[in-house]
Amino acid sequence: MTAMVPSILPPLLLIGPLAVALFLLTLPWFRESLPEAFATDTGSVTLLERIHLGSIGYVFLLSIAALIQVLSNGAISAFGDWLFVDALGAVFMMLIGVVGLMTGLYSIAYIRHDLESGAIDAGKVRIYYGFFSLFLFTMLLAVTANNIIMMWAAIEATTLGSAFLVGLYGQKSSLEAAWKYVIICTVGVAFGLYGTVLVFSNAADVLADPHQAVLWTALVGHAAELDPMLVKLAFVFALIGFGTKAGIFPMHAWLPDAHSEAPSPVSGLLSGVLLKCALLIVIRFYVITVGTVGAGFPQMLLLTLGLLSVGVSSLLFFVQQDLKRKLAYSSIENVGLIVVALGVGGPLGIAAALLHAINHSVTKALFFCSAGNVLMKYGTRDLRAVKGVLRVAPATGLLMMGCALALAGFPPFNIFVSEFMVFMAGLNEGYGWIMALCALFLCITIAGLVKIVADSVLGKSPETMAKGDVGWKALAPLGVLAVLVLTLGFAVPQPLSTLVQQATTVVMNGDSRPVVAAPWQTYDTVRAGGQLVTGSLSQTEISK
Amino acid sequence: MNGFLIVNGLSGLLIVSSLLVTLAGNPANSARFYALQSFILVMLFVALAGATGSGELYLWSFTALLTKVILVPAIMYRAFRRLSDPAIGTGAVMPTALSIVGAAVALILCFVVASKVTLPAADAIKPALAVSLALFFIGLACIVAQRNILKQVFGYCLMENGSHLTLALLAPNAPELVEIGIATDAIFAVVVMAALGSRIFDTLHTLDARQLTSLKG
Repeated sequence: MTAMVPSILPPLLLIGPLAVALFLLTLPWFRESLPEAFATDTGSVTLLERIHLGSIGYVFLLSIAALIQVLSNGAISAFGDWLFVDALGAVFMMLIGVVGLMTGLYSIAYIRHDLESGAIDAGKVRIYYGFFSLFLFTMLLAVTANNIIMMWAAIEATTLGSAFLVGLYGQKSSLEAAWKYVIICTVGVAFGLYGTVLVFSNAADVLADPHQAVLWTALVGHAAELDPMLVKLAFVFALIGFGTKAGIFPMHAWLPDAHSEAPSPVSGLLSGVLLKCALLIVIRFYVITVGTVGAGFPQMLLLTLGLLSVGVSSLLFFVQQDLKRKLAYSSIENVGLIVVALGVGGPLGIAAALLHAINHSVTKALFFCSAGNVLMKYGTRDLRAVKGVLRVAPATGLLMMGCALALAGFPPFNIFVSEFMVFMAGLNEGYGWIMALCALFLCITIAGLVKIVADSVLGKSPETMAKGDVGWKALAPLGVLAVLVLTLGFAVPQPLSTLVQQATTVVMNGDSRPVVAAPWQTYDTVRAGGQLVTGSLSQTEISK
Repeated sequence: MNGFLIVNGLSGLLIVSSLLVTLAGNPANSARFYALQSFILVMLFVALAGATGSGELYLWSFTALLTKVILVPAIMYRAFRRLSDPAIGTGAVMPTALSIVGAAVALILCFVVASKVTLPAADAIKPALAVSLALFFIGLACIVAQRNILKQVFGYCLMENGSHLTLALLAPNAPELVEIGIATDAIFAVVVMAALGSRIFDTLHTLDARQLTSLKG
């Protein structure tokens, strides 16, 4: 492990959203002592929005600052190494910053619409923004934790922080979704706790200082000394536990309900970021397990569960008629593909998994928010009723079409680049039949996505439907996400490829720099295998 | 050595108390039995602290007494006693006798697993270690085989007690902050579940998990 540089940024990053969340959620208890503008929730909606904007802007800026520091100095840490950000954590911290900002900006228009339509009252607006910041805080805590017990506690806290967001509308279906979410994830994460306890107990016996046994960085350094049987057991528990939260089959039951019932910006955040944060914890346990028992055992489990996730979710995706439920199953499928890439292993497999996590995060956040626009316009998520979006709301229609094509894995969108890398890694490592099965399942998904475009985006719009798109406040953040989806599809920017390479080095626990690039990308600045590569990279070179 | 005998003996009582929590007629009684189980757990921590000479475990015993014996049961008792759904009875999906046999089978399986652990720290407390694992799975069964959503919350509490016991048995010198982290998180989890359960009862007038089936597919 490389040395960690002390930094004030990790605690600063955490304290902002936590302070905002506590302020907003406890406001009724002390609002009398505040200025007139806070007297009632109804009168302070604009103020609440400004505070929320401050919170998401703060998280974005601080996460980018921490990212720059990690890229230039290596891992940063604070509080006796209890908090740390290495390149691996930085990938996910960046997702929280960027997707949190965009879904947060989109929330302004979306929640205003819900308020005006009477779906929620002003009190719920305050609760929404309070829990939004709390949710960001808990995810940030999960990705900046070096203490494995804190990692578990943070993942558990993400459930508790976001449960009220899922059940915000207070209807039968949303309460049901929130309950299932809390029970399944809490129970799942209890498995994670057991796995964590097993690793910690084992390390406390091996390491001289029990305080060190709780740190992930110390555990990785001493992984070879741990008891193989206990570590295997711990990995199974951790995979079940944190895999529940990541939406891996067969622990995914909460996901379609929670994603479809939550307000759309929250759906984007759940799918785009939360699932990835849980995956990060799975990856952290994977690194320890590989250090103790080798790659064979964890990779076999990951490949099995990943392939099952891709297979089952692609079929369920196809038959869904609820747009957001359909997208939820697509999330399970993409998480499955990331898990398959992790199971394939090797530097290219790990890099492909990380890049796909980034690409899927941006694309799915955009798709869920576009689905939010559809919901605002049509008042339903039922694809049998949503027709002709392109005619009714042209910008939203275009965004949906772009998202569908991107998710289907067509170039020049970002998902193509990472899916291509996953397949190259799989073939390179000799998993041809698994990749063939994945390709088959992806074809089913493509059919489902084409159906969305043909029937709902391009179909004939209902005659009673008023023409005209949602406002610019709802479209602007989606425009930014769309630019990201396209840009990352044309070429992987050098800072991003460097970050993914460094993160891969953390996962491989040794220097490894796979080429992280679009197949057509011309390189004269990206180093591959420690050497400068110029010209266009052939597929063989990429697979190396 | 006597200290470890007490630890292993008390762990047997945990299985009995977990069955009482699971099979109690209503959630308020489950809260009482949960407090009883947590008290046995605290006693076990004290015995273990004496046997291993771990100062940290005495501190744990104290925090566990505050959180698990007093705070969490009190929260649940207050939140749950006004909520009653006579339509679902005890809410148990399986007959009582079958639940007891199931717990016994789980315990035997956990003994087999625990016997394979080679850690030196586990040598003297393998029966208790098996019980801690069994407690975890009895908690899981309490959630899966229970229609009353409030009693499902107790399933989580049992799972958490099981994890906590494993931690104490295998790492008696774990830093106090680790234990506080787990205990605090469990309190928040119970508060959120109790709040959500109450809201479901107020809105839908049922505590039956089988009524919560509008989302499918």
